[in-house]
Amino acid sequence: MIWKHCNLFIYKQLHHLIGMGGHMDRTLDRLFIIPTSWMDEEAKGVLSVVSQWAEKEILSKRLDYLTNYQTLFIEKQKKLLLDIGLQRLALNSEAGGFGWDDAVHAPGLACIISEISRADPSLGIISAMQYAALAPLMKDFGSNKKLIKQLAKAYMDNKLYAPTLILPGAGYAGEETPLFKGRSILAKAKPVKKGFVISGKDLRPATNGNKADLFCAVCSGKDSKTCIAYIPGDLDGIKRGAPIKTTGLNACTNSDISFDDVVIPKENLIAGDQAVEWLYTWFNLLSGSVSIGAALNFYEILHEWSSTRVIKGSTLFKENPLCASVLAEVSNEIALSRMLIHDLASLIAKPDHWGDTLDGTTKPYTFSQMINTRVQQGVMNAINRGMELMGSAGYAKEWHVEKLWRDVKTIQSMTCSTCADVPARMDTATYFFDCRSLGQGGAQ
Amino acid sequence: MKHFDEFSRPEEYISPMDTHLRRIIRKWADEEVIPYRREYDEDWKDHKLIHPAFDRIMGQLGIQKSLFPHECGGWNLAASDYLFRSSYLLCEEIGRADTAMAVALAVSFWPLLVILVEPYKNNRLIQEFAPMFCDTKKAVFAANAMTEPQGGSDIENLGLMKGRTIRTTARLDGDEWVINGHKLWPTNSGGVSSLFGVPCTTNPGSSDPDDFAFIYVKADAKGVTQGGPYEKAGMAADKNSDIWFEDVRVPKYYRAHGPGDDAKAFYQLIPFGQVASTAFLTGAMMNLYERLYEFASTRTYNNRLLKENDAVAAVIGRIAGDIDICRILGHEAAMMGDRRNKPYGKPVISEDVVAKIRNIKDFISDRAVENFGRAMDVLGPYGADREWDIEKHWRDIKIIQLWMGGKQLCQMEAARYFFNCETI
Repeated sequence: MIWKHCNLFIYKQLHHLIGMGGHMDRTLDRLFIIPTSWMDEEAKGVLSVVSQWAEKEILSKRLDYLTNYQTLFIEKQKKLLLDIGLQRLALNSEAGGFGWDDAVHAPGLACIISEISRADPSLGIISAMQYAALAPLMKDFGSNKKLIKQLAKAYMDNKLYAPTLILPGAGYAGEETPLFKGRSILAKAKPVKKGFVISGKDLRPATNGNKADLFCAVCSGKDSKTCIAYIPGDLDGIKRGAPIKTTGLNACTNSDISFDDVVIPKENLIAGDQAVEWLYTWFNLLSGSVSIGAALNFYEILHEWSSTRVIKGSTLFKENPLCASVLAEVSNEIALSRMLIHDLASLIAKPDHWGDTLDGTTKPYTFSQMINTRVQQGVMNAINRGMELMGSAGYAKEWHVEKLWRDVKTIQSMTCSTCADVPARMDTATYFFDCRSLGQGGAQ
Repeated sequence: MKHFDEFSRPEEYISPMDTHLRRIIRKWADEEVIPYRREYDEDWKDHKLIHPAFDRIMGQLGIQKSLFPHECGGWNLAASDYLFRSSYLLCEEIGRADTAMAVALAVSFWPLLVILVEPYKNNRLIQEFAPMFCDTKKAVFAANAMTEPQGGSDIENLGLMKGRTIRTTARLDGDEWVINGHKLWPTNSGGVSSLFGVPCTTNPGSSDPDDFAFIYVKADAKGVTQGGPYEKAGMAADKNSDIWFEDVRVPKYYRAHGPGDDAKAFYQLIPFGQVASTAFLTGAMMNLYERLYEFASTRTYNNRLLKENDAVAAVIGRIAGDIDICRILGHEAAMMGDRRNKPYGKPVISEDVVAKIRNIKDFISDRAVENFGRAMDVLGPYGADREWDIEKHWRDIKIIQLWMGGKQLCQMEAARYFFNCETI
């Protein structure tokens, strides 16, 4: 129980740092309900601290935050990840972390990522990557003590540490590649005496590739078998392309990455489709949670807008039946999306509550694909519809809505891997209809 | 490869100017806009990169004088039978390269249409303003200063609001109008325009169309103050800002037509604006097709070209199908405008033309927003890249769906017309 004491100590530190005796924003939680019983007291405590950080550090002074974004983004990130210590949240307690290194913490992690993202989705996605990268190392998924030790050193260091994922996606015409459920795997891992040699050209990280400290790259290994390589960003042979200008998540500058025979130790590779499915499952849960956080903040802004603006000279927006029907659609999308994400978290945390566990990682993987696709579509629709009410104010940077809109769209496209929702549909059809050739390069 | 020109439009609607004008505009777009447009977002405030391209098309190629009569040095387009269709091709071709440039250019025509198009012509004002646009090789912009802080889209909802909520006032003092008020968001504000068309009221709170006044104000008139441009999600080539009119004095004859006719002439602008909006969108969607074609023909899923996978083909096929249908509808909207002077046509301010054109704009806006978003998802992690251009269009075109009263006003206009609603 050492880690419990450790966490109690951390809470005291956290409350001291934040300087507020706090409670979470009950208004939002009462409106967009989730089963709070799925979170333990510890998770509720951490969430409370994150809520206070979000309110105090960003939401209450957003104009200043956005005006000095480049500087304050790092400053607020340091406060959250280093001072408060969330960088080590998903590390095991033996390594000095909070000990949230098992699936049972999925609901808590989803809530925390949402709350960070309510303040800024870019901060949320960076934390999401930190936690997703550790998922294949979770204690209930197989232990790789050497790699955990190596990563713990980086996560525990008093410096920001940013992993990113390189997932399979679109291939190139004329090149036959190994596949992960239809998606091309463009990185290769070749076994050598010292470990593995990683190669791949112009690979596209999910986000933040330009500054990433660690690349978790899905590779094809021996006999084209799928694996995940953990590639520290400072190794020889890593080439980062020019910064890419993107629609949103502008604080997470991306670049294409080339691995020119990069050598990693043996322990930095985790083999098997199940590990990749598990990585995707967590990526879907946490990227979905980022968009939920953005949606909750969008709701707050739209609520203020529709309660203070009039049309036709005197009628409040929200009291006009047509506008109200749009507000209902916005609420509907956010509320249902949030429930779905927490269902997914529960499925990950307590699979036995959701039927048998015979399908291993394939069931949570498939549901995570379905749910995240639906959540991204729902949140995007909510913001799109709400912007229609706000008119040009929704489009001006001043109101902040357009940033949420761009950030969520960037996340939605990123999580598609390629071809919109087609790969997720193929996964779903395969799971429910026992399709044999979909995603295997088979005939159509 | 199929060419984007092959998206359908009714051949019999095509104006005599189409081939020639399209060729000129497309050459300009391909050489002077498309190679540089990925840098436009960073140029939103200064327009150092953008402005030379405007000078070329508006001043040197002479598009800005096209509406004016021959005797003023113009092309007499405003008096032609194909005003709407020519405007459509212009807006579509420019929109393919950059919808914000298309907007800025088209909106320069907007206030001028109030005095240039039969049956509401004002020859004295045409003579007054023509040299400003026709005697220069530099781009000259104009703007309609319509939206007010408290009114949102009320000004575009003239059918119902009848100008009741307008707070910008015009008071006659001898031979001058004295204008006071505050306007928001006009395209080509933020220091860009040389001339404003300003909807005002001569009797605040009145719903009488006779009290609606459309008055021209030169941007350098004493008492006109413009704010700096707003920072927005996109549309970098289109500057918007606040404008304040404080005891601004203009000659009495700067009122477009006078009581009653000002409101009718101004109301013509709604269909013009909606048709231009559809053209911006179909132009942008044709470029979407070009870029999506390249991605779907060079990248693979399941080791097949994207376009050769049945499920992906269904997605991109739907996108192309929607573009085809939207283009037909857009040309239909333009033709409704150009039928205005024909025995079988109806005035552009008639209830059914306004409602049907708004309806088409609403439909095409929704398809555009949906298809650009979908196309970004087809590109997956590349969808948000500036390099693929689709995301820029996605950001830019969202405001087209929102402006001029947005979706809700289009829906209300359709309901009023088709269901004889009397109070909405």
